[in-house]
Amino acid sequence: MSLAIPNGLDNTVERPGERAPLVLGETTYHDITEAVCKVAERPPSKGWIGGFLVAFALLQMLGLLIVYLIYTGVGVWGNRAPIFWGWPIVNFVFWVGIGHAGTLISAILFLFRQEWRTSINRAAEAMTIFAVACAGTFPGIHVGRAWLAFWLAPYPSLNLWMWPQFRSPLLWDVFAVSTYGTVSLLFWYMGMVPDLATFRDRSKNKYRRMAYGILCLGWSGSSRHWMRYEKAYAILAALAAPLVLSVHTIVSFDFAVSQVPGWHTTIFPPYFVAGAIFSGFAMVLTLMVPARQMLNLEKLITIRHLENMCKIILATGSIVGLAYGTEFFIAWYGQVPAEQFAFLNRAFGPYAWAYWTMISCNVISPQIFWFKKARTTPWIIVVVSIFVNIGMWFERFVIVISSLSRDYLPSAWAYFSPTWVDWGMLIGSFGLFFTLFLLFCRTLPVINMAEVKATLAKQEHMAHLHGHGEEAGEGH
Amino acid sequence: MSETKIETTVHGMMAEFTTVDSLLSACRRVRDAGYTKTDAYTPFPVHGIDKALGIKPTVLPWICLIAGATGTCIALAMQIWMNSIDYKYIISGKPFLSLPAFIPVAFELTILLASFGAFFGMWALNGLPKFSNPMFTDPRFDRATDDRFFLYVDASDERYDAAGVRSLMADTGSDYINEVVEDDSPKEVPKPVFLIWGLSVAASLVPLICILTMRVTNSSQPRFHIFFDMDFSPAKDAQQVTSLFVDNRAMRSDVPGTVARGQMEESLDMLTGIDVEALTLTDPPRVERLVRAYMQADDQAKAEEQETLEKEAEATDEATEAAEAAPASVMDTTPWVEKNPLTVDADLLATGQQQFAIYCSVCHGMDGYGNGLVNQRAQSISAPTWVPPASMHQETLYADKYPDGKLFSTISNGIRKMPGYAGQIKLKDRWAIVAYVRALQKSQNASLDLVPDAKKAAVEKAVEEAKAELKRQAEEAEKAAAARQQAQQ
Amino acid sequence: MSEHAAPAVKPADDPAFQLPASLRSLQMPLLGGGLVALLIGMGLAFSVSDADMPRFGMSAYLTAFLYVLTIVLGCLFFVLIQHLVRAGWSVVVRRVAECIMIMTVPMAFLFLPILFSVFSEGALFIWTDPEYASKLHLDENMWETKKLFLNAPFFLLRALIYFGIWGALAVYYWRGSVNQDETGERAATDRMQYWSGPAVMAFSLSLSFAAFDWGMSLAPMWFSTMFGVYMFAGGILAAHCAITLMTYVLQRAGALKEEVTPEHYHDLGKYIFGFVVFWTYISFSQYMLIWYGNIPEETEWFFSRQEGGFGYLSIGLIFFHWLLPFFGTMSRHVRRRPGVMAFWAAYILVVHFIDIYWIVMPEARMVEHHTIPGFGGALGILASLLCVVGMTALVVGLVLRVAGGNRVVPVRDPRLRESIIFENI
Repeated sequence: MSLAIPNGLDNTVERPGERAPLVLGETTYHDITEAVCKVAERPPSKGWIGGFLVAFALLQMLGLLIVYLIYTGVGVWGNRAPIFWGWPIVNFVFWVGIGHAGTLISAILFLFRQEWRTSINRAAEAMTIFAVACAGTFPGIHVGRAWLAFWLAPYPSLNLWMWPQFRSPLLWDVFAVSTYGTVSLLFWYMGMVPDLATFRDRSKNKYRRMAYGILCLGWSGSSRHWMRYEKAYAILAALAAPLVLSVHTIVSFDFAVSQVPGWHTTIFPPYFVAGAIFSGFAMVLTLMVPARQMLNLEKLITIRHLENMCKIILATGSIVGLAYGTEFFIAWYGQVPAEQFAFLNRAFGPYAWAYWTMISCNVISPQIFWFKKARTTPWIIVVVSIFVNIGMWFERFVIVISSLSRDYLPSAWAYFSPTWVDWGMLIGSFGLFFTLFLLFCRTLPVINMAEVKATLAKQEHMAHLHGHGEEAGEGH
Repeated sequence: MSETKIETTVHGMMAEFTTVDSLLSACRRVRDAGYTKTDAYTPFPVHGIDKALGIKPTVLPWICLIAGATGTCIALAMQIWMNSIDYKYIISGKPFLSLPAFIPVAFELTILLASFGAFFGMWALNGLPKFSNPMFTDPRFDRATDDRFFLYVDASDERYDAAGVRSLMADTGSDYINEVVEDDSPKEVPKPVFLIWGLSVAASLVPLICILTMRVTNSSQPRFHIFFDMDFSPAKDAQQVTSLFVDNRAMRSDVPGTVARGQMEESLDMLTGIDVEALTLTDPPRVERLVRAYMQADDQAKAEEQETLEKEAEATDEATEAAEAAPASVMDTTPWVEKNPLTVDADLLATGQQQFAIYCSVCHGMDGYGNGLVNQRAQSISAPTWVPPASMHQETLYADKYPDGKLFSTISNGIRKMPGYAGQIKLKDRWAIVAYVRALQKSQNASLDLVPDAKKAAVEKAVEEAKAELKRQAEEAEKAAAARQQAQQ
Repeated sequence: MSEHAAPAVKPADDPAFQLPASLRSLQMPLLGGGLVALLIGMGLAFSVSDADMPRFGMSAYLTAFLYVLTIVLGCLFFVLIQHLVRAGWSVVVRRVAECIMIMTVPMAFLFLPILFSVFSEGALFIWTDPEYASKLHLDENMWETKKLFLNAPFFLLRALIYFGIWGALAVYYWRGSVNQDETGERAATDRMQYWSGPAVMAFSLSLSFAAFDWGMSLAPMWFSTMFGVYMFAGGILAAHCAITLMTYVLQRAGALKEEVTPEHYHDLGKYIFGFVVFWTYISFSQYMLIWYGNIPEETEWFFSRQEGGFGYLSIGLIFFHWLLPFFGTMSRHVRRRPGVMAFWAAYILVVHFIDIYWIVMPEARMVEHHTIPGFGGALGILASLLCVVGMTALVVGLVLRVAGGNRVVPVRDPRLRESIIFENI
């Protein structure tokens, strides 16, 4: 456990009545600018190049597999009667879930005035958008004739003479995911504009300066602009908060409005949302813990930031566990044979291995975060967050596959086995995700400099108000 | 702002500060000194500066509210128009206008449009994008996005006077005060940028143009099929062969042991003509076989049953010819249904008559005496293997000796040379024929007493006419036969 | 970064931290009047019970009980969550929430009539009727299994566990906070924060099952996994309203004049707005899933809420529990006006009663012949109102009594200063 605590200050301890600092060290505004801009300005490291090549190769594999799929037909997947949804929908729900943390950190934590969000929100938002891109891929190719996916849009067609079916939850998904992608993109971009202006003003190269100049729309930092900008940011946050809840709610409707045993249960909307936050934060931690070390951002992304995220993982993991339990109880209490069978089948049927993997990863493994030692040890955090990612993938697997494989018609029961194409696409989607993420690290500001500076200013102001004492500096 | 091109147009005065607090106090000083056209430039939003500078609140929330409400209305109107008015389509038993189901999309569009309102409204109100700004001319201003804070007083302010502003700013403790001058850097965009821009626009137009060309032109080439077998389905027609199944038949028979929908509406009694309940007492295995054969589409069981019936029928045949003492055959021991299971009425008899005329009369004759056209022809050519059809009017075929069920079974499964007609004649029509045969039998033994009095005369007259006609026909036939004989000789 | 210097925290025995005399004098009238109203209401409610609505009397009592209990538990949750997230802004209003939270103890006594009703067959919960299964021709085996959960002794045990958990939490946090008034010990805040995580978990689990027991099992064959969350959503909304309203009343009476500012109303207003949306989200999701799935076992519950006058109540909830307060509390200008916020808080406390009434009362009808649910005429409505007004008055009287014996602000909380100088962005 090598914890670099700059200044010897442990900011995970907070004395009541004082606020522990979120920016560590004798940091100035300029230090923040330097630390963040260096990430993109210095030449790429070997690690970055290696990582990018691997991710890019996987992305190419995904592309080739999609071509192979379209050319050959969906038979190349393991999807079969009655498990028509199969692997692609598992991946879709998994990626949409990952995509929740970013907007959540930006919007909901903003509304709750959790200032620790400022150091991590940019990367998390970027992650959201890349995860939504991965998520959107899967239903797009799952429709079978992927080149006709635009039929989902309500446009007056001269060939079809018909309109989409708005009473179907799958169409709600189209609207929810595309709205979510669009609003997340706007939110991310808008938050980035002042930082892009910083990039512009630091650029030595004429073309680089011009490119960032166009991207930042000529931002000057005028107070009038800041005032409207902050208002717009607050409004977007207030709009994005219910939006982020609605997206996974609507994804849960895909399942819950049907009558498939194990799917039709009213707890699904909040339970899916909690699960999405859970998996999203796990992914943020998986990426940020190594990234803060590699990019030398320990002063800005402190152990306290990690600890707070661990607490959220613990809370949402427990909510998810509570929902699993409630489902089981109500299946018994409701005394509907099909429901009872569905849940027993999950836990003790042919997919019991997946179910217990899910339980151990999602419910049991985060419980270690009750211990502060675990919440502040980076390698434990990474291990648990990877477990949670695996567990949340399995949660979707359990929901989709085990319910569909054994529904009301026993003669149609079947066991799902993924093909190599299924595996390849799952791995390839990680290639897409990491390619975009690594490009982002090299070209755009990975930390919201303006907001961190504002946090620093407030921190100094509060310290001044509280009569910044010597005791705040003592190590614990 | 005056655009008179002197050497440098002065836009205003700026002062640099290193801390938030010094900027804020400077702002208050400038505001209190009466300047209104002022602004501050900071690397992050500074709270309280709107008060310090006297900036008014923005109308942005109203723009969002209106945009959001527009989104709700558009979404609801769109869904109601598309699914409840223009293209009505029943899905999962929901009403055409299902408000709960329209809520999610309405919500999403509300958020989407309100977000657009906030995002684009903010840029519009801020007058951005605006790539050139006089402030940018000062190289020190680059730090306005890093760690420096700038206060700016515009030259168009009524109270503006360069020296006064400069001294006021110096008074607030600024280290660096400078005039903001017109941006005189070269305006033209470097040529490579145009080149790249032009090329990318051209490249992005290519696919669009291709698609548009394809939409408006005709081609002699066949369409490109991505999934050939989806566009041209390899479905088989009824009588075609296929390599998919061992028996090479594309048409599949029912799966043994299953009952198809719409089948099994009739009782086994009706399907076989056998009183199954009675048979259960004497021969349970046969009942089991009948169930498999007739109710579960077991072809093998059907073949076995058929074989038994045929063999026994032949045996009976021989037995009657050879000796009366032969052991009782299946045909005799089977408990046949005594009574036609269908309600016998005029309609049923009409059906029976029609079906009899089509299928039976060719051999058995319209009158049932066994002298149909086929028989006549066979007799005339003296076909050696011809077994003359039975007359319906022999006493052994009357209902008391030959029950309805047995007659039905004979029609269905055949007897001697007569093939089974189960394949050609529908179940109920076979029972209708049974009913008609009974009527036919009765007609040959009916007495005139059965005819109502009112119609007696007509019947008698008709009988006379018929007899005369028969006589005439017989004479003609004789004459014709004589003529043929003469001709042959 | 405010221009003005932050005001100093007043000394602990400042009159601004005491319950004003005008409110102190209201205690006895409220306690006495509340008890009388509750008793008259119960008497009327039992007189309305007839063959069509055999369980009307106890249902009216349960409605009043659940109404007050959800608010009390909402306040308990409010206090727990403030400790969990180390909130600073809310310290000035936390004692108000704590005074309501500690009412879990008297609520346990007010639960006794309900407990007795479980042992008298079919008085409130129809599953206590031994004839129930045979009257509705339910499958015997299924009903036997279900009775493993729905039986009076186990019900009693569970109620003891729930009140044990809530009582322990409420007393622990109450003591911790009140003792800190005297000792000013910083570690007390740390201790309370330390236990808040497990406390929230125990609370959520017990609340969810209590909702199943006391709300969902009124219709024994109906089930919804969301039901606990639904009850929670209504309760936490009403709790924020109760805190807002009571703080406003305290200020009007002269306490906390300088400590509670429009900033705090602004924040409470945001939460009220947020929980209005949350309640709508939960109730819409529950309705939507059951409506879309269209499975008779589930739709039955909503069906009986669309018959009689309850159809109007269902529609009314959409308009008055969502649309009106949604637009009413949307604006920042509204949230920053204490008087207007207090009005909306009072308004939502009224519609919260309609929500609870809508959950409980339709099940008072005769089930075997599927009688249409009803309100029991003018007398029945009057009885229901008297019950809830009586019980609320009783509990408010107790709250004032508790508040009168202590300070109305945690005067030595280390975050009190942060709360006083708090400003919204």
